[in-house]
Formats: sequence, C-alpha cells, structure tokens
Amino acid sequence: MRWGTIFFALCLSASSESVTSYTNNVPPGESGERYDEDLFIRPLLDGRVATTFTFTTDLLGNVSRQSESSGQHYTLFPLTLGQILREYSIAELHLTLNSGKWNYDHWGYPDDPSVGTGAELWAWMADGPSSTIDERWTGLRNALAGLFCASLGSLDTRHTSSPSTVFPISFSSSIPHGLRYANLPSENVCTENLTPFVKLLPCKSRAGLATLLNPQRIFDADWHGLSIHLRSTEVGTELKLGVQAVFDPVRLSGGRRRDWSFRLLFDRIIHDSCLVATSSVVRVQIPDSGSHTLSPASVVDDNLTAMYNLMTQAPLDVSMSWPHEHTFQYPHVHESRLTPLSIQRTLHGSSQIHGHLFIALTNNGHHDIVVGYFENLPALVTLWMHTMEIKVDGTERNELISNVSYRPHQVLANGQKSPSTFQAILTVPASSTLHLSMEISRAFLKYTEHPPDAMRGWDLPPAILFPVCEPAMGICGMQNTSAGMRDRMYTPTLLIDLPTPDFSMPYNVIIFSCTLITLIFGSIFNLLTRTWVIVRVED
Amino acid sequence: MSLIPIASLSQGTYIDENALQPAQVNTYWNWQDVHRADQYLYHLEGLRDRNSTSEERAQFIRNELANLGLRAATQNYTFTASSGLLSGVNAYAIMASPRTPSSEAMVISATWRSEVGKEPYNLRGISIVLALAAFLKNYSLWAKDIIFVIGDGYLDGMQAWLNAYHGTIPPNLETSLLEYTSGVIWTALNIDYSGHSFSHLGVFFEGLNGRLPNQDLINSVRLISHYTGGVPFIVYDHLEPNDFPDRWQTTSILANAPDFIRQSPQLQDFEYRAKNIVRHINYQARGKPSGAHGLYHKFRIDAITLFAVPATGPHGFLALGRIVESALRTTNNLLERLHASFFFYLFTSPGTFMKIGKFLPSAVLVSAAMMISGLGDWVNAGWLHEAVTENDREEAAAGGPSSKIQGKKMVRWRMRRRPLLRPIFTVLGTHVMGLLAFNLMRSPIFVENHLAASLLLFGALTILPFVFASLPDRTPEVAPFSLLLKSFNLCLASIVISTTSLLNFSLAAILAITLAVPLMYSSCSRSSPPRIVSLAKYVTYSFLAWGWLFLRDEVKQAIWNWEVLGIWFAPFICIVYGPLVTQAGVVSLQP
Repeated sequence: MRWGTIFFALCLSASSESVTSYTNNVPPGESGERYDEDLFIRPLLDGRVATTFTFTTDLLGNVSRQSESSGQHYTLFPLTLGQILREYSIAELHLTLNSGKWNYDHWGYPDDPSVGTGAELWAWMADGPSSTIDERWTGLRNALAGLFCASLGSLDTRHTSSPSTVFPISFSSSIPHGLRYANLPSENVCTENLTPFVKLLPCKSRAGLATLLNPQRIFDADWHGLSIHLRSTEVGTELKLGVQAVFDPVRLSGGRRRDWSFRLLFDRIIHDSCLVATSSVVRVQIPDSGSHTLSPASVVDDNLTAMYNLMTQAPLDVSMSWPHEHTFQYPHVHESRLTPLSIQRTLHGSSQIHGHLFIALTNNGHHDIVVGYFENLPALVTLWMHTMEIKVDGTERNELISNVSYRPHQVLANGQKSPSTFQAILTVPASSTLHLSMEISRAFLKYTEHPPDAMRGWDLPPAILFPVCEPAMGICGMQNTSAGMRDRMYTPTLLIDLPTPDFSMPYNVIIFSCTLITLIFGSIFNLLTRTWVIVRVED
Repeated sequence: MSLIPIASLSQGTYIDENALQPAQVNTYWNWQDVHRADQYLYHLEGLRDRNSTSEERAQFIRNELANLGLRAATQNYTFTASSGLLSGVNAYAIMASPRTPSSEAMVISATWRSEVGKEPYNLRGISIVLALAAFLKNYSLWAKDIIFVIGDGYLDGMQAWLNAYHGTIPPNLETSLLEYTSGVIWTALNIDYSGHSFSHLGVFFEGLNGRLPNQDLINSVRLISHYTGGVPFIVYDHLEPNDFPDRWQTTSILANAPDFIRQSPQLQDFEYRAKNIVRHINYQARGKPSGAHGLYHKFRIDAITLFAVPATGPHGFLALGRIVESALRTTNNLLERLHASFFFYLFTSPGTFMKIGKFLPSAVLVSAAMMISGLGDWVNAGWLHEAVTENDREEAAAGGPSSKIQGKKMVRWRMRRRPLLRPIFTVLGTHVMGLLAFNLMRSPIFVENHLAASLLLFGALTILPFVFASLPDRTPEVAPFSLLLKSFNLCLASIVISTTSLLNFSLAAILAITLAVPLMYSSCSRSSPPRIVSLAKYVTYSFLAWGWLFLRDEVKQAIWNWEVLGIWFAPFICIVYGPLVTQAGVVSLQP
C-alpha cells in the first residue's frame, strides 16, 4: 500500500512536473532501479580542467515495450524518457548537445566520446509492424525536441542517414533494428537545455553532484556539452545522463594560476548528498608530475585517482593547488600530443562555386593506424570522387584508402534532398601526415531556401573518424588498442559560403527599376517605331 | 572629374550593419598590458639591433605566443619571381575562442617592415599584437577565433600566409600548408605602428586590383577611435588642414598664393579632399594594395590597416590597444559577413564619402562619348560623300531619297564597302604583340640588361605596326583603313573603360584621360598632313604607349607585383593599354 502511494506520487510529480520532494527516503536498489552518480575531474596539461558528470540510472528487468496497456511506474527512471522509449520502440538512443571544439591534441580523448559540435542524435529502433522506422524517427525527434527545448525537429530527412558501421548497436537482438543518425552543427546548447535535463535527475539540482551544475559557470566553460545515452543491456535498460565541461582556471584567475576548486569552477560546493543514489563519487585524476596539493586529502589508488565518497563526506569542496608555482607556465604541448591522431579539416579555395575539402590526419605514434572516415554532408555540397587525392609527404599513395563508399544526395519524395554520405577506411602511416583532398562544388540555392542570415554561410557537420576492426581480429571490440584508436573522434565543423544573392535593399531596387524601365522602354519603342495606318477592309 | 573633391557632393558616413555597435563597450586594456607591450618591444629592438635573421625573429615570436598557451607555429616560404628569389618566415598563432565551433575567425596582423612612415620596421605594431594576444585570451566573450599573424617582409609574408591558409598555393610559391588552421576569416585588422608615438590614426584600405573593404569596417573603427580611444581618425597619413594650420599652409600647393586664397576654408577643404582622392587613385588605379591588409580582400576578408601617424605625442600603446580591443569586440558581434554598406566608394575625408552613383558617371560619360564617336566613324566609313555633276543632277533627283540638296550644290551619299579583315588583324596583331612584349619582359635577360632590352623592345614595338600601315588604299569604292581602324579602336577602348569603371573606378578614370584624348585626335584633319608630321605623331603615340618601358624601377615593381601578388596592372598595360594607343598611332600614320 505504501509503495503504491509512492508510485502514485512519483508519477504525479513527473507528469505534472510539480516538484515533489524525495524525502520518502527510498532505500536504493529495492525498486528494481538503481541510481549512481559520478564526477570525474581531470586536470589537463594546458592548465584546463576537464569535468565529467555521469548520472546513471539502471532499470533492472525488461521494459515492457509491447504491452501498451500496462502502466509505467518508475521511482528513479524519468518517466518522460520511459514514455519515449516505449512509444518509439527504442533499443538505443544517444543525444548530445555540445558547444565548443574538443581539442584532442591537448585534452586527449574525452571521457564520453560524443563531442561533436552541435546536436547529434542517433537511435536504433525496432522495425515493427505498427509503424516504420522513419515514422518512429520523426516522432522521436519531435518528442526529444519538446523535452529538451532544442531544435531537434529540424533534424529532418535533409540530415538523416543510416551509417550502421560507424554507430554499431551495442547488443544483439532477434528483432530487426534500424539506425537513424542526424546532426545539426549550428545548434547551441544553453540554459534552456540544461533545465529540462536536470529535471530528469531524481534529486534535481538540490542535492548530490548535480548541485554543481551551475548554468552560469557550465556555459562559460571553454567546452561544454550535455549527453543522454540510453541503451538496452542484458539486465535491463541503462540511462546515462552526462555533462562534460572543460574549464580554464587560468583564464578565471586572469592568466596566472591553474589552481581550481569547486568554489572556483562552479561557484558552489556540495552540501548534501542525494539520498536515493546508490553511490555518489567524486574522482580526481592526479597529474603525474608537479608539486600539487589536494584538499581534502584522500587516498590515491593505483590509477592515480583520488576518490571522495559523497555519502560520507558531504559537504565537500575539492580543491587542487600548486603552491610553489607563481605563474602557470604553459608546457610546449607541441611535441607531445595526447591522441594518436591529430585531425585537421578545412575548406580550401577562394571561389564561391568550387573548392576543396581537405583533411589532414597526422599519426603521432610509431605504428600505422587504420581508421574509418565518415562524412554526412547536407546536399549543399557535392563531392567529386574522381578528384580525390591521397598524399603522404607530397607523393600520391592511393593504396592507403579502401572500402570507399559514397552515396550522393538524392531528391526524396517530399522534395527534400537527403544528405550525401562518404565512408572509407584510411591507413595512416606511422609518424607521418596523410592528406586527403576532394573537389567540391557548392549548390546554388533557390532564393527561398536561404536562411534569414544568408551571408553567414552554412555549417557543415563534423566528420567522424571511427575505429575499425581489421579482418584478422574477427569481431570488432570496443577497445581497438592494437590499431591505436580507442574511440570515435570528431573533426571540427566547417562554415561554407554558398553563392548568395545580395538580399539588401539597394540591389532589389535596382532590379525592380531595371525591370520597370525595360517594360516602359519596350512599349514606348514599340509605339515610336510602329506606323499606325488604317487598313480598310474590303467587302 | 575635377568636381569630385567638392564637399557638397560627398555625404556623411554611417554604419549600415546594426550588429556592429561600435564604441559601445567598456574596454579592459590597461597599463599592465602596455607594460607587457613595452617588454616585447625591448626584445624586438634587441633582435633588430642584432640584425637577426627571419628565422630567429619568427622563432622568437612563435615562442612568445606559445608561452601564452596559444597554438603557435612558423611558416617558411620562398617566392620565385623573375627578379630573383624572396624568402622569409612568418609566425602565427590561433586563439581558439571558448564555447564556439571555431568556424569563424578574425585576424590581427602586423608585418615586419613598414613602408608608410619613416621607420623601416614595424616593431611597435608587432609588440602590440603580441601584447594583445596575451590580453585577449583572458576573456571568454569571443565568438570567433582570433588569429595573430606576424608577416615577414612587407607584403610577401602576408601573401604567403594567406595563400597557405586558403590552400591556394601558386606554382611560384614554395611553402607548406599551415600546421594550425581555424575557420573562415571574416575581418582583419593590420597594425602599422612604426614611429615612437602617434597623434592621429590613419586608415589605409585599398586592396589588390582596386578592391575595397566594406565601408562599415572603416566607419566603425573611426567611431571607436574617436569615442573609445580619443584619437583623431584620418584617411591615410594626410592631416586635416585645421590640425596644424601652420604646417598645412606651408605644404599646401597654394602656399605662394595671396592670403585670401590661401586662407579660404573652402579651398583648403577642396585641396585636402583632392589630395585624398589623388592618393586613392594612385593606389587603386595601379591595383596596388596600400598595405598588407589589401592582400586579404581577394579571399573575401574585409581588412584595413591602422596606421599610427608618427608624432611626438600624445598617444601610444594605451590608446591603440583600447581601439583595437574595441574594434575586435565590434567585429566579434557580427552574425554575418559584412555585406550591407558600401563596397564602392571614394573617401573624400574621414567622415564623408562619395557613392558610386556620383563618381561613376564621370568615367562612363567619357566612355560613352568614345563609343558614340566610334560608331559615328563606322557609319561615316560606309558612305562616300561626293559632289555630283550637273549631268547627273536630274537623274539623281528622280533617282531616290539618298540625294539631297545642300545649298545650291547637289551632294550624293554613296554606300561603299567596309573591308573588315585588315583592321581586325591590326587590332589582334597589336594585342598579341603586347602579350609577347609582356612575356619578354618577364624573362631574366630583360631584367638583367634593362636599358638595352627596353630600347630594343621599344624599337620593335614601334616598327612592327608599320606592317599594318604599309599598304595604301585610296580607292574611293572602299572605306579607308584608318577610319575603320579608328572606329574599332574607339569602340574597343570605350568598352574597356566602361567595364573597368565598375571593377576599378580609378583605373577607368585614368584610362578615360589617357585613352580618350589620343584616340579621339588620332586623325583629326581630313587633309592629309605631310609625311613627316604624321611620322612624328606616330612616334609620340608610340612613346605614350610604350615609353614607360624606360622607367626601370616602375617596370620591375609592376612585374614583381604581377608575379608575387597577382596584380593585373602590368599585363593590363601591356596587353590592353599599349596596343590601344599603338592602334591610334597606326591610324595617325595613314594619310
């Protein structure tokens, strides 16, 4: 009876979004749901601090996706997501909203690999008889757009593709599943996205690690992003809500020191722990060199990580300082890059009609790296495959590319153009730079297709480099250590100038007046040159 | 054309792009940043005094930028021109702005050399760029990446850097692609501060091949300079007449005129505006950039050079830093490329300009006149004007409408053939000749023995057209060759002028003067002059067309400009202007 009332109260609170406090003190783990939170702080070489919040909710047992009639009762799992999950038969869902450019060279691999600029959404959905995957995809996008106040609704067929090798499904199932992937590089992430995001957490931002999610600080960070990862596992469904941010304490201190603390980074400290959480941990990676002090002191384990358990240690304000360092000296990161690959992607050429897409991949290691390369380009640009050039140190090396597949954009039934996708496997030789360039032509748009700020140009989404499994290895493992690449990497986005008419007033005036003068001249010329005679019609 | 400097024809400048919001921010640049700039200056002066190599300088700048935590690198380049190799090392750094995808960027640059002031090295300009790099990275408000570039040399370094950035490396440039890149560059500020202190801030804006940056950029910096920096803003390094009245009166061209003329404000103003326009035409007509900013325009980047006019005071790093910071904040506001305001304008004074509609007619009218007179010649060539004898009179009167009574004498117009082949070949021949001459001038032999080679070339270019003029034709049934050629020549020149006037007004204006007069008067009298007179006339035309060959330095510079910077002036003169005047010469040669 007591559980029933709690369920009822929780459902009410989630659906009507009235804030019901969680003072009921639900014993964690008993309801078939489990909530863990984790904050991982990584001081970086260039004085910045990478922070990764992970809020994991495990829904043990199977979510009954088929039985529409049975009610959905969750204690910790957010109901709104649960409804979406069931409505669109989602097996796996990944949504990220990021802002900034992840600097792989200086910051290394991110803790959550989805760091592409803008919005990225991909989902594996079951192909059921009731509705097709494309219908589910449309519904999903709109539902998520409403939930997170983001322009995900515009991730329509012009952006959607299905690159199943790049984003493999993480579990095997007997039901056929289909993948849909779309990205929107110009989508910005802001407070309006964080607020609904925080609402999905059981303790909101009142207690636990989520206290630190101060929008004024998070959105001032050099890089920040929100992510939602939902995947089905053997035991049930796992929901990971993540916030990543890279702070620059050197900037915050006016270019002097790299000391950081919760107070400095977030302008807050943690007062209470979230009581429904099974575990609530702050982990700090200890830099291998340097005379730093960490407060409060903690035991450092083998992985050079200091751990704080929020359940016992609240209130908590972790701080790290370098007392013997007067001014922070930037290391010459030039020499030591943290990822095996450095990526550069630019558009070359000064013309508004043609150009070159240019990708430079530098292998910083001593082994060849085999890497997959994926572009999902809107129909604004057309790649010309015959102009593809692969060069290493100025000499052409066409054998380094294989498994090229290119799908040019197509006009769909609704009149929109699907994106073109390019996928290939590249081998980057050890300690050298591979240059891949392709000629592109830029589309000439109809004047109605231009956005209001036409002179800005168009954002092209980031390309993705993904680990591939070599045939010798058989099954693809998530950790492809021998090839050197651990996880997906995203290239920077690009801004492309298309031939744009001048929409400004003087030119419109010129065009209109020219038309008028032509009309007037035509008729007057006609009148002047024509001789008017009376033709008598003879009977 | 001479009316252009009149004040009432110009109108006040204004900001068209609402996003710019110039001079609306509080600046943070302060004395400690000035101190930092002074420290950089000290090191740079040391480098200058040690006569350090380009490599050392670029390494120093790179290291300083890398110490700030920016992604910094150097770039080696070598240009191969017919006058020799030119190499150097650039240093640059990219400040990735926080929170943005790095798809847009703005540039602050300085070049090692300065050519406007008296000081040959732009040390203070470089110091302030370095100090700005240290200062700007402490703020998170940047929406675009900021790129700091220190170009070696005067124009060559920046040209190499821009080409490498955009991946458009020409065959005669040996350099590698840049190690670090950012997004699309929208605006750029080039700083030229070579003197010790400055009194005014001058703007230079002419770009390659007569391109101009969007006027909004200049106007914004003018407002910022006035309101944020408190520094008077001028065009080029031309002080306004009332800045230093005494100095103006001694340097004015009216210095020896009576007092009432010399002190007339209207005349002073007219002279000041005329001076600005002459300077502008001098840069634009030759397609020469007035500073390193001019190289950006080719890549659709709006750029200007801020020139700190050398003086004993009162301004220094503090004012300039504030102005640049505020200007960057302004361009940082841009959501789109600068596109609203004007791209075609004449700056008559810092606060006033002329729209294209007001100055363009001056060149277009001349070109229209040439076209009409050319067409008139074409019509004349088709008709023979002959007096009829009494015998024919009745026939003719009954004959047709083509005869008419003029006074008492009957005049008959008869149609005649207009053989086109010869004039067309003459026109084509002279242009091909110009093309050959241009290619010859780029050969190393020409460069080494300039005087002998140019004498020979001049001789050849003078004598060769005789081939076209050698065949006499005096049959009355056929239109005279000279008339047909003149008509072709005038029409062609008119087309050239009117086309150029849209692309490069200054060049069109110069052409309107230098082409219209000789071409219109190439055969002025119907009576055939003595042979020696027409020969003398031909030689004069030839000098007009090719006499510049003897200006050694100018030719060398123009060829270098074409080869390294891609300025069309040298080929244009060789292939278009020279042949056109030669054609007029051939016309004058005909009896």
